[in-house]
Amino acid sequence: MMTPHVIARVMLIAFGVFLVSVPWLIPALLNPFWVSVVAEIMIWSLFAASVNLLFGYVGLLSFGQALYFGFGMYGVAIGVATLGLSFWPAFGLGIVAAVVIALVSGILAVRLTWHYFAIITVVFSLIFYFFAVSVKPLTGGDDGINFALPPTFSIGGYTGSFGDASFQYFFILATVALCFFLMHRVIQSPLGKAFVAIRDNDVRAALIGLNVYQIRLIAFVMAGFLAGVSGALFAFFGRYASASYMFYHVSGEAVVWAIVGGAGTLFGPIVGTTLFIVIRELVSTHWEHHALIVGAMAILVVILAPKGLVGLWNEWLLRRGARTAGAAVKTKLQTEP
Amino acid sequence: MDILPILALNGLIWGLIIALIALGLSIIFGLLDIINLAHGDFFMVGTVLAWFTLALTGNFWAAFLIVPLIGFLLGALIQRTVIQPIRNVAALTIVATFGLSLILQEVVRMTFGTTPRRILPPIPGTFPMFGINYDIYRLFAAAVAIIALAGFFAFLHRTKLGTWMRAVRHDRETAIAMGVPAQRVYVLTFGVGFALAALGGVVAAPITTVEFRTGVDILPFCFMAVIIGGLGNLPGTAAAAVLLAFLEGIIQSFADPTVARISSLVLMSAVLLVRPQGLFKGLTK
Amino acid sequence: MTEPVLRTENLSKRFGGLTAVDRLNLSIPSGRLHAIIGPNGAGKTTLFNLVSGLLSADGGHVFFRGRDITGLKPHEVSRLGIKRTMQIKSVFAQLSVAENLWVTRNAGKRFQHPLRAAARDHETRERVELVLEQSGLSALADRPAGTLSYGDVALLEIGMALISDPELLLLDEPTCGMSPAETERAVARIKQLARTVDIVIIEHDMSVVFEIADDITVMTQGGILASGRPDQISGDERVREAYLGRPEDEDYVEDVINA
Repeated sequence: MMTPHVIARVMLIAFGVFLVSVPWLIPALLNPFWVSVVAEIMIWSLFAASVNLLFGYVGLLSFGQALYFGFGMYGVAIGVATLGLSFWPAFGLGIVAAVVIALVSGILAVRLTWHYFAIITVVFSLIFYFFAVSVKPLTGGDDGINFALPPTFSIGGYTGSFGDASFQYFFILATVALCFFLMHRVIQSPLGKAFVAIRDNDVRAALIGLNVYQIRLIAFVMAGFLAGVSGALFAFFGRYASASYMFYHVSGEAVVWAIVGGAGTLFGPIVGTTLFIVIRELVSTHWEHHALIVGAMAILVVILAPKGLVGLWNEWLLRRGARTAGAAVKTKLQTEP
Repeated sequence: MDILPILALNGLIWGLIIALIALGLSIIFGLLDIINLAHGDFFMVGTVLAWFTLALTGNFWAAFLIVPLIGFLLGALIQRTVIQPIRNVAALTIVATFGLSLILQEVVRMTFGTTPRRILPPIPGTFPMFGINYDIYRLFAAAVAIIALAGFFAFLHRTKLGTWMRAVRHDRETAIAMGVPAQRVYVLTFGVGFALAALGGVVAAPITTVEFRTGVDILPFCFMAVIIGGLGNLPGTAAAAVLLAFLEGIIQSFADPTVARISSLVLMSAVLLVRPQGLFKGLTK
Repeated sequence: MTEPVLRTENLSKRFGGLTAVDRLNLSIPSGRLHAIIGPNGAGKTTLFNLVSGLLSADGGHVFFRGRDITGLKPHEVSRLGIKRTMQIKSVFAQLSVAENLWVTRNAGKRFQHPLRAAARDHETRERVELVLEQSGLSALADRPAGTLSYGDVALLEIGMALISDPELLLLDEPTCGMSPAETERAVARIKQLARTVDIVIIEHDMSVVFEIADDITVMTQGGILASGRPDQISGDERVREAYLGRPEDEDYVEDVINA
């Protein structure tokens, strides 16, 4: 009996198998170029997930996650290019930098809600964007900086490095999968339930004893962590960092991906990001105005399907589950005398 | 070029133009509860339409009439087709306006192209003042902006439509209960908002570059004016726009322009956190 | 004389030019169900908001079992054991009934565990099932709370107030908008609860008030008009005039008392 639970499980396993086989499957079917597209999709999915954690689960719409992405990215880039760090210290620097700035800005931003919260997240990201542009010798401004890639690790004679397309792919896959797994655990935990309660009714949440400010701050820092990891991965992936990735357009696109994919669902960010990046890759070779599609889809989804694709899918599953349950009850009633 | 009086005057005049645009943003924010991320692009569309008017008719002055009108119609259309259907998912309107922003920029790229163009000032020449030679057109632009601002406030306080707008902004439910047609007011508001930004675009077109990215640059500044001036405080917003642009102009004469920009943003954050009703509440009615 | 469970001292709250609560001195003893009645705008809900921390006082103090709780934030007041329901019923509409209760029970813990699966928490699960049964909501456990009838939402709210072992329950018009049958259920529940928990209730329905209250305080214009046992209050001329209204209503009150 194909209950919703079984369908979801099967799909998850199939998806996992697909992801793991990409480095062999895709070059065989298409073109090795698409392997790096999948890797890029994963990085940006993680970024969209940081938006989704805040908006879909806690109800805070941040339009400034690019700031933490930027800190993760620059932590790595500056760590390698200026400080001469090797892979793991640079990775760590990027993540720590993103988390610290998320904590500092979160302490201030989380005091606000609704429109003012969204506005101040943009303002914070703009402040650092302009700052990054102005310290061009360090950050390369909008043009950015390139850096040489340090190897990831060496065991025995084997050296793993992002220079190797397969290794790069699996490292990104492992990191992103780990982050999504952690997100899944948090969402299922008491903290995750508290998130949703606060999103639903923050006055009631305070009255039952939840420290709303503190819990929102925790979510904000977690989202900063996710964005920082994606920024760090991005820097290693492209061996490149640029201030333009801290601009609010980048944050805005991630918001669109998260919402089209399905806010408040675990896989929404992945679906949304995949959709838009694939469209971009397919369309941009023939037509340079694919941003039009992004804009149009953002509007259409908000008007017609605010729950997003995964949201619609979940609803369909629920209705189907109710029907199968209803059918089961009916047959039961019929067999009883 | 780095002379203080010129930069200060430039700042002042830009401030007046931005005041126009920011007022449009403020009424949309105040009445419709929408963070309009496309508002800078409304301004940009205004500059582009001005360019097209000039290219098609050879007459720049016509743009002062045609462009705000087109802007009003576009705004009304957008409100009916995009904004109205999503009034229930309030948090997501910001996403829709972001999408709108992308669309506007792409459409301009498709029709106008990506090369920045310039419009020659319709009133050439300079006028000696304060020991420098200052562009006459800029003075004219300032005059137009001031007249437009005065006209807007007159509309708001002296006409029936303007009074309806103020009523809905002040207390939506009571206004509706008193028979104000809220629906029409929303359409009107968005239309007027677009028109104001577009007018700002026409006025500014000869003194800035016309290209698809100018909206993105101007948007943060408009929000600064709205927040620092105080949401719902229209005179405050106008005053804040003028003051901020004037100060940035002055700071530019001795520091990196980004320093000025960062300071304004920091001020804006402080206002949001400490005094969200804006700095000018109580000083203006 | 034992410490009153709730006491206010010169408590004041102003909204612009309006004084909602005016130097209020209220003392509520433990062990007796206390009802606060009064016309609209008397300041009753404002009083609850001040006690539960949703509003900050402009003057005066609030004491809970002798401890000064003035100025504490809502979640801090809640953790002390003071739970309340709202005038406009307020639950987590998108969560199921069971999840509402679960979240409430868990919220009392200082630390929200970020990684352990919530489903593993057996103790909380059992408490939720117990309260569901006691409230008569077991059949609706998986329904989103937003889809419930008004009366069931009210019962859920009371269940949420109970599940975290409250010391003091503040019920704001619990029977408002209920059908007679629902009111009966709610009243029975409240009477049952009053045996173990201190309860203060704001009510407009006089039959309910006179049925369950041990003490009544009448508030008007931010202050106390009268305070005492039900028979004292119903006999008080000023109360009749200010609140119970016209001579025709007096017969109604007589009927209720003599019922």
